[in-house]
Formats: sequence, C-alpha cells, structure tokens
Amino acid sequence: MDALIVIFVSGIVAMFMAMTHKPILVLATALIGLSVGIGLMVNQWYNPYLLFDYNGLAFGRGEVIYSVAAMTFSLLIIAGGYSYFKRETEHTGEYISLILFSLTGALCMIGYTDLFMFFIGLEILSIPMYVLAGSKKKNLQSSEAGLKYFFTGAFATGILLFGTAWVYGATGTFDLRELSNILAEGTANGPLLFVGILMMMASFLFKVGAAPFHFWAPDVYSGSPNIVTGYMASVVKMAGLYAFLKLFTYVFAPVSDLWSGALFGMIVLTMFVGNLSALRQTKFKRLLAYSSISNAGYALMAPMIISDASLFNLWIYLVGYGFAVIALIVISLIVNDESDDIESYKGIGRKNPWIGFVLVLSVLSLAGVPPLAGFFGKYMVFSSAFATYPILVILAVINSGIGVFYYLRFVMVALSSEDVEQAPVLKPCVLQWGVLAICALGLLLSGYITL
Amino acid sequence: MELFALPLVFALIALVAPKSKVNYVGLIGAVVSMVVSFIHVANFSPDQYVSLFAPDFMLSFGLTFKMGYDGIGLFMVVLTNVITTLILLSNLNREIAHNRAFNALVLLMQFGLLGVFTARDGIMFYIFWELTLVPIFLISYWYGSADRKKPLMKFFIYTFVGSLAMLLSFMALGTYSSSFAYEDLLAVQLTAKTAFWVMCGFFLAFAIKIPLFPFHTWQPDTYTVSPMAGTMLLSALMLKMALYGMVRWMIPIAPEAMDTLSCLVITLGMIGVVYAAVIAIKQSDIKRLFAFASISHVGLIAAGIMLFNKDALAGAFIQIANHSLVALGLFLAADILERRMGTRNMYEMGGVAKLAPKFGFWFAAVAFASVSVPLTSGFIGEFLLIKGLYNYSWIVGLVAGTTLVLGAVYTLRAYQISMFGAPKAEAFSDLTWNEMLTFFIIMLIILVLGIYPQAIIDFVGPSLDLTIESVKGAKVIVQ
Repeated sequence: MDALIVIFVSGIVAMFMAMTHKPILVLATALIGLSVGIGLMVNQWYNPYLLFDYNGLAFGRGEVIYSVAAMTFSLLIIAGGYSYFKRETEHTGEYISLILFSLTGALCMIGYTDLFMFFIGLEILSIPMYVLAGSKKKNLQSSEAGLKYFFTGAFATGILLFGTAWVYGATGTFDLRELSNILAEGTANGPLLFVGILMMMASFLFKVGAAPFHFWAPDVYSGSPNIVTGYMASVVKMAGLYAFLKLFTYVFAPVSDLWSGALFGMIVLTMFVGNLSALRQTKFKRLLAYSSISNAGYALMAPMIISDASLFNLWIYLVGYGFAVIALIVISLIVNDESDDIESYKGIGRKNPWIGFVLVLSVLSLAGVPPLAGFFGKYMVFSSAFATYPILVILAVINSGIGVFYYLRFVMVALSSEDVEQAPVLKPCVLQWGVLAICALGLLLSGYITL
Repeated sequence: MELFALPLVFALIALVAPKSKVNYVGLIGAVVSMVVSFIHVANFSPDQYVSLFAPDFMLSFGLTFKMGYDGIGLFMVVLTNVITTLILLSNLNREIAHNRAFNALVLLMQFGLLGVFTARDGIMFYIFWELTLVPIFLISYWYGSADRKKPLMKFFIYTFVGSLAMLLSFMALGTYSSSFAYEDLLAVQLTAKTAFWVMCGFFLAFAIKIPLFPFHTWQPDTYTVSPMAGTMLLSALMLKMALYGMVRWMIPIAPEAMDTLSCLVITLGMIGVVYAAVIAIKQSDIKRLFAFASISHVGLIAAGIMLFNKDALAGAFIQIANHSLVALGLFLAADILERRMGTRNMYEMGGVAKLAPKFGFWFAAVAFASVSVPLTSGFIGEFLLIKGLYNYSWIVGLVAGTTLVLGAVYTLRAYQISMFGAPKAEAFSDLTWNEMLTFFIIMLIILVLGIYPQAIIDFVGPSLDLTIESVKGAKVIVQ
C-alpha cells in the first residue's frame, strides 16, 4: 500500500522535475521512486500489514509478487526507453510520469479486494495508456492507435461496468470476500450472475487482447511508440491477467461451470488466431502483437485451473514473457528503424553478438525452448492444466509447434550471415546495456524461482 | 560435476580466445573433457551408479536436477567425448575452425549431449535434449551451404514438434508421480491405454530424431546442406540421443505398451533398412548417399532395441559406437572429396585413389567397416542384432539380413565410382596430418572393438540387466 503512494508521488514529482528541462532528473526521480516502491513491496512480503484501514485494497503474498514484477518491468522499460524519451525534452516528464500513473492503476488492479476498486484501478491504468499510445503526435499511425485504443477501451469498460452491475444485482455486494461467500452458498440469482460474469469476462479478455476481442491489439501495438508497446505487453497484461485470475479462479470458482466452457473456447480461438496470423507478418511489432495474443491464450489456461498453484504458475509465465518482450522492445529501440520491417533486423545478431545473444534468448524463450524462463512458464501452466483439460493442453502444444515457425524465422533473419556487412553497428547506451543484461539474466534464471 | 561442466567452461573460453588459436582451444577443450571421462571410466565398476549432482531441493512442479550415470550413461558420455574430439580434430585446419562461435557451439553441443546422457530426471533430460538443438542449428545455419534455409527450418520444426510430444508424455507422467526423478517415474504404474499414449509421445520424438521411416524426410536434406562438422554431429551423436532415449526412458517408463508398439517399431525399422538402402543405391550425390545409408543402419538398431533382450541391446550399443565412428569417417571422406573435387556428384569424380593413395586406403578401410566385414566392430554388432531379430521372427531376420548385402552394394559402389577409373581431376592433395590422424583413430577403435567386443558388453551389461529386469517386472494393470 505504501508502495502505491510512493509510485504515485514519484510520478507527480517527475512531472514537475520536467520543468527543469533536465531529463536526467526526471529519470532519476522515476527510478528512485520505483526502487523505493519495490523495496517497500518486498518489505510487505516479510511484514504483511495494511497501512490504511480500507478494505478495497490488500497486498497479500500473491499481490506482492505480481506488484514487484510489474514495478520491475516498469523500471526496466523506463530505463530502456530513456534514450527515446529524452529526444523530446519538453515531453520527457509527461511520458515518464504517465507510465508511473498507469503503473499506479496496475497496482490497484493487482491489489483490489473490491470490484469498485478494481474499476478505478482499470481506469487509472487505461487513461494514461490511451494518451501514451497516441503520443507520437505527428505520426498518423500513432494517432490512429491512440484513438482506436480509446474507443474500444471505453467500450470494453462500459461492458465491464454493466457486467459488474449485473453481478451486483445477483449478489448484492462488491466485496470479493462477501461475493465468494454468497456464491459458495449458492443463493445468487443464476441468470443475472451468468450474464454479469460473461460480460466481465469479455471486457477482461479485451484488456489482455484475447480473441475474439483482439482486433485492436495489432494496430495499437504497431502504432504506439515501441516503448509503450513493451509496457502494454508486459505490465498491462500482467495486471489484467492477475485481476482476472483473482476474480475468476478464486471468487467465481463455485460457479466455474458458468464460465469455464466459454473461456475454454476462447482460449482455443485465441491461440489459433494469434499463431496463425503471426505466420505471415513482416513487421516486427505486428509479429509481437500476434505473438502476444497467442501468449495471452496460453496464459489464460492458468485461471482455468481452480488451484492455489495457478497463481504462481501464471506469475512465472508472465515474468518470462515480460523479460523477453522488454528485451525485444529495447533491441527494437536500439535498431531504431522507422519501417519496422523484420528484414531490417537482418544480420544484426552476427554483427553485434551480444545483442544477438539477448535477441536469441528472448525469442527462444517466447518459443518455449528450455532452459529459458519461457519454457518453465509454459510447462507449469500446461502441466497443471493437463489433468483437467488434456485436450486443451494438446491443442496448446500444437500451437507451440506452430509458434516455433515464426519465432525461428525471426531468429534466422537476425542471425543471418549473409549481408552482414550492410547490417548496422548498433550503439546502445549504458542504460540499455543494463536493461538487456538484466533481461538476459531474468530469462536464464527466473524459471528456477521457487517460493 | 566437472564431467559435464568442462565443455561449457571451454566454450566460454573459446568465445574470448584469439582468433588464430581458437581451433586449438576448442580441440584442447574436447581432449580435456575426454581425459576426464576416461578418469571416470577408470574409477567405475560397471554395476554401480554414480551420482554427479543430487541437490535436496526441487522445483514446485517436481524438477529434481538429478544427474548421474550408470554403465550405459558413462558409455555414451565417453562416446560423446571421443567423437567430439575427433570432429574438432578433423576440422582443425579448415577455416571453419578459426571461428570462435564454431568452437563454442561444438563444445556447447557437447555439453548438451553430456547432459542428455547423465540426466536422471525427466525434465532435465528434456531440457538438455532441447538444448542440443540450438547449437547444431546455428552451426548448420552459419556455416552450411547456400540453399540451407528451407531444410534447416524443416529440421528444427520437425524435431521441435517431436520433442513437444515427448513433453506431453512427461506431463502425463507427472500427474501420476511426485517428482520427475528417474526412480519415481519408473515406479509409476500405468494402465495399458495411458502407457500406449505415453510411449507414442516418446516414440514420436525419438523416431524423428533417429530418424525412422516415415519420419526421415528432414534428414537427407539437412545432412546435405550442413557443413561437415554439422553432419558429423547430427549423425554421429545427435541421433544416438534418441537411441539412448529409447533404452533409458521410453521402454522402462512405459513397458506396459511394449507388446502393442514393438511390432510397429520393428516393422518401421525394417522398412527403413530396405527402403533407405535401395534409395542409397540410386544416389549420385555422395553426401546424400551416406545420409540414406545412415537411415538404413539406424533402422536396424532401433528395431533391435525394441526386442529388449540382452544380446540385442548389447548388439545395439556396439552398433551405436560403430555407427558413430563409421559415419564420422564416411562424412569426412565425403567432405574431402567434395572440397577437393568441387562437387558432390560421384560421377564427376574418379581416379582419386591414384592421385591420393593415402586417402584411398583410409577411405577403403572405413568403407569396409561400414559394410561390417569381420574384425570390425560392425560385424559383431550387426550379427547380434540380426540374430535377435531372427529369433523374433524369421521373416524379420531375413529382411534385416539384407542390410549386409545392400550395404555392401551402395558403399562399395560409391567407393568404386568416386575413387577408381580415369582421373577426372588434375591434382588431388592427399590427407593432411589431422585428417590422417582422425582416420587412424577411427579405424583403431573399430578394430579394437571388432576384435574384443566383450569390452562393451561387459561395460554396459550390468546396467542393461537392471533395466531389462525392471521392464520384465512391470505388471500391466487391466482397466
């Protein structure tokens, strides 16, 4: 809880720091704020207490690990994107503080114990994202991305509110604990609840970019500035999926037969849509977008399983995914090619072996090649689902097989030994080297974390 | 621990070594690992199990990190180390060996293979199994011929998808077992139906890697486009992982399905033996010819393993060693021809034996070893395998026996067309010292094993007895 305040305050301070026209101060504020926030959150792990007597937010152990991961990812993104932010000195403060505000929303979405708080968190997360998506003001695609994200996002929020209202109508409460008690008793109004849950599920799936609510994702991902794309794929997805897990796996568990069938169908659809569409992409960020759709499909298998282990399985999965995406996004910033063609990555891995190493690690991790973090995440999510839904796991494994095709193609382009002479010599700044190194370590080691 | 960590250390050293000396760094790395494995052999008695790494913690889903070896494992470890050394030795003077990445990748591959052969945990096995895919892919991708992209893509996806099937099997086993430690997985008793699907998953992974007919379509193309070192790694070591996997994992874990599947696997193996041999006879591309010859030979080994009795298994292990060495020699010869004649087409070669008598002699020696003439290790290995298959069914034994005839046809035909006749080249520089040394070591081992095959049988025998017992003891649960 105190971490939340620190993040928010550091966002405000960062905004005012921008008045000094020294971007480095903004960066320092944000990094210090995030580090303190992470420290406080880790402290919360050892001393679980609530600073304020308000039952809308609570940070138990599950919330703590997700918050720490979300804050770490934000830190990596701000540090890795600094060279981009400082190009427009007058806006540096806005970019960085918007990311911090959005992170505040993400933490609210992670720590909520009340549907009302969840809604507020979602809005705090989303509104800065709408702005950031359109922040390349002179770029048509970016404006389109911002607008598209805003309209569809607002629509999804409306449906979420509507669904919440139905659930409230069926149970008479917003509080998660009371909600789960009422659902366990079985006294809730069935049809009302059913409609409400489905509507809420639809808007959740919209936020994490799962089919059939994925249409915004490729355009928004490719239109937004790269660093915002990275933030969407790592932090927003993490908050959205954890909120989903908390609500559905733990609160709506007693009525799981109302929603698990629909979720099953949508997971299958998401995996196939994401992977099959990714096969033909030639633009890097669109590839990333479709890959993120398919990854949302795999990740959604964790909430399907009503078990305490799901929380940790999903976390490992998202941590591996986040490190890989952030590493790729930082590399794309370093390559800095406006056309965003996959071909523009040709030979960079041969020419710049260390960057190539990180690139290969992250792509192979996305593909699920052991011993990288992505493999462990996938394995844990899949294997926990195997006993209940073997068919779903088999379909997911088939999809991993399809996925290898486009991941491998990307690796082959990046490592191509032909035309190495034309490949650019990349010069990442110190911060970016640091971020890449942390991501590489994360990809190599985070799979072995046990709690 | 140092047994499988050493190649990794040397791989890292190779990455920073000066470019002019990096070929020696790679070779020294392989030699040191080989010597270390010999020390392990000296301190090993065949009936013991040596634990290399057994931490007392495990990951939440049951990964125990256990590593160790018994007779079979150590045999494969030594084979890997010897073969890697020979591969680096035969490449020593070529430009490819002056790449830091090349040496590091070969050593990384060695590390992965040693992990595969010493893993005592299902998921560890899977991790190392997949780890080997990356270096071999990069070696072939970076140093292969110009038309390599499509075959390599096919190769990677084919084998990766096969491995995913194996992963599914492990997942299914994991729902019955508390951890993935080898002993725990062995203790799992499956119903016949589950065992069938589990074994199918393993089989798909292994059949693609071996490769058995009809999963072989990636193999000739990949062998052809890979550089020599890549082809050697693929044929001499990588496919042995799958044969080892059948003995160590597939059959002992799901013995309940043996009766259902062994007939199928033996049939596929036999089809492969004849089919690949017939295709090999019609090849004009010498590298492709040896690729098909490889399919033919390993089909026989896979069929022999499915019999799962001691003689056949001992024969299989002799043949594993023999095939590794022979494949190494044949692909080295093919590469020497390709390099110095500028073509892979046999009909454009000829008369080489006159121009390069030393090469002519050693190539002939390896060719005879490939045909399994008596006194070479192939003779006793194929004899044991064919004997086992004959006892299984005389028809199978008969079909298996054709490998001797057909093998002689395609090998000697290739030798005759490429080496005899009128010289088609002005000059053909003879073997360099390192190529000669490679051939010499290969032939030395082949002859020693051919004269005293009991060495291998005694070495792997006790572990084989244990494995066979555990399989025989498995009860089928009737649903």
